[in-house]
Amino acid sequence: MGVVFLSIITFTPLVIPKYTYLPELFGLPYTLWMGMLLSLCFTILIFIGIRVHPGATKNENNS
Amino acid sequence: MITWFWIFSIIYIGLLIFASTRTFKKDRSIDDFMLAGSNIGALLGVLTYAAALFSAFIFMGMPDFFRVHGVGAWIFLAVSDGAMFFFIFWFGYYLRNKAKTVGFKGMSGMLSTIYGTKWAGYIVFIGAFIFLTPYVAIQIRGISIFFNAIFPALLPTWGWALIIVMIMLAYGIIGGLKAIVFSDAIQAFLLLIVLWIIGYNCVKYFGSVNNLFDQVEIVDNKLLSIPGPQGLFTVQFLLATFISILLLPASQPQFSTRIVVMKSMKETYRMAAGLTVVATLVFVATAFIGMYGAVKYTTASTRDFISNTLLFDQSNALAALAIVGLFAAVLSTSNAQVFALGSEFRSLIKGDDKSVLLKTRVALALFTVIVLIFSVMMSDELVLLARVSFTGTSMIAPIILVGILSKKQPGKELILASAIALFVFLFSLSEYIPDEVGGVRIDLALHGFLALVILLSLSIRSIKSQINS
Repeated sequence: MGVVFLSIITFTPLVIPKYTYLPELFGLPYTLWMGMLLSLCFTILIFIGIRVHPGATKNENNS
Repeated sequence: MITWFWIFSIIYIGLLIFASTRTFKKDRSIDDFMLAGSNIGALLGVLTYAAALFSAFIFMGMPDFFRVHGVGAWIFLAVSDGAMFFFIFWFGYYLRNKAKTVGFKGMSGMLSTIYGTKWAGYIVFIGAFIFLTPYVAIQIRGISIFFNAIFPALLPTWGWALIIVMIMLAYGIIGGLKAIVFSDAIQAFLLLIVLWIIGYNCVKYFGSVNNLFDQVEIVDNKLLSIPGPQGLFTVQFLLATFISILLLPASQPQFSTRIVVMKSMKETYRMAAGLTVVATLVFVATAFIGMYGAVKYTTASTRDFISNTLLFDQSNALAALAIVGLFAAVLSTSNAQVFALGSEFRSLIKGDDKSVLLKTRVALALFTVIVLIFSVMMSDELVLLARVSFTGTSMIAPIILVGILSKKQPGKELILASAIALFVFLFSLSEYIPDEVGGVRIDLALHGFLALVILLSLSIRSIKSQINS
């Protein structure tokens, strides 16, 4: 659900407002730091997924 | 710079030879050759997947994309890749389970079994062949032109292309997937180091990130938001790209193979997590390099921007390392894609191990020759052609997705729908069909059409089975 939510808001003016680059964060324009924040959120979701997904605890091996 | 170039080239080629001799076994089976014994750990997985994904397109194309179109390039690729890495995590679970129950030699072969018809495999193979071949060719062409510009007296453009293709052929045919995975690891490592040092130098030139973006604002403040100075990053464009990139682990065989050959599910998940970190590091560096170019090389051609920023503005040693890194990037990504075509071909043919291996090696040689011919003939637009490759192959993703996810045999109408979408997209590229339908981009419209067909197919089949039972 988190990933679907992040994917949807990516294409809204919340992340990509047209012709707007303020407010800046650490000198980065708005869309860039929001984009970086989204990338960070995807990373966090994957790390959470590793802990909770059934496949991660399954002792499966190919070799 | 030339001395450093030869030193790094010798080290790089030495590492390649070392990797291929370490992985070479005289009596290996075809699965050892094509699927690396399905025993790849997380770290190697991250590096090989990153190398297959981050080609010359990342090294040369993305900084230029940031320079010309601005910060929307982050949404275009970095956010799409973030979602795609999560997709590896989710889809990988089902793909690996299906591969265990049905058997995996290549996606085409596996889908033929799942759908109960060879046509499913053929359409996947055709899609991969049509859209991967020009993508490989454009990379080889791009790097050959670049090398020719740096060393005009050494070799003509086609000479560089021939060298890349010959190394690629020898390496793939002799070493197999495991050797390719090791060469990928060397490339990914090189790419990260070089991009980060150059990215750091680009920020250092302006004193701070703040100063860098202040200068960009003075040059053209449209670079700091979407749709960018040329209006490329519309919501439709970004959304269609997002869908195409998201589906890459399903739609492009070099990625699905890398998921299947991981040692275990746990290692696959670790690979997905590692990839998000590596990708973010790569994209941050390309953003800084691109913004540096936007200020310093505002009106320069792509080639001048790249050669100045990656080479002439850097120390001799770093410039030489960048050239070797570029060569490595093209070699490993091209190798991954051509080898993936070989795997797909192999999964569609039958026979004893020896004859299948021989036929596959001949097919690999044939694909390589086709790529070489294309690379000499094509025009250059690296990033947009990469996007076309992602989008084109995404038209076959529905067959793959439904085939992997459904427990029952899926309907053959999906094969027909994917084939229609594939050829409509192809005709739209050739301008026989308009690239918009009622104000909607054709690629986005085709994704919608495929989603609708999947929904109808699954619903009707579910109702039918309920009636029958």
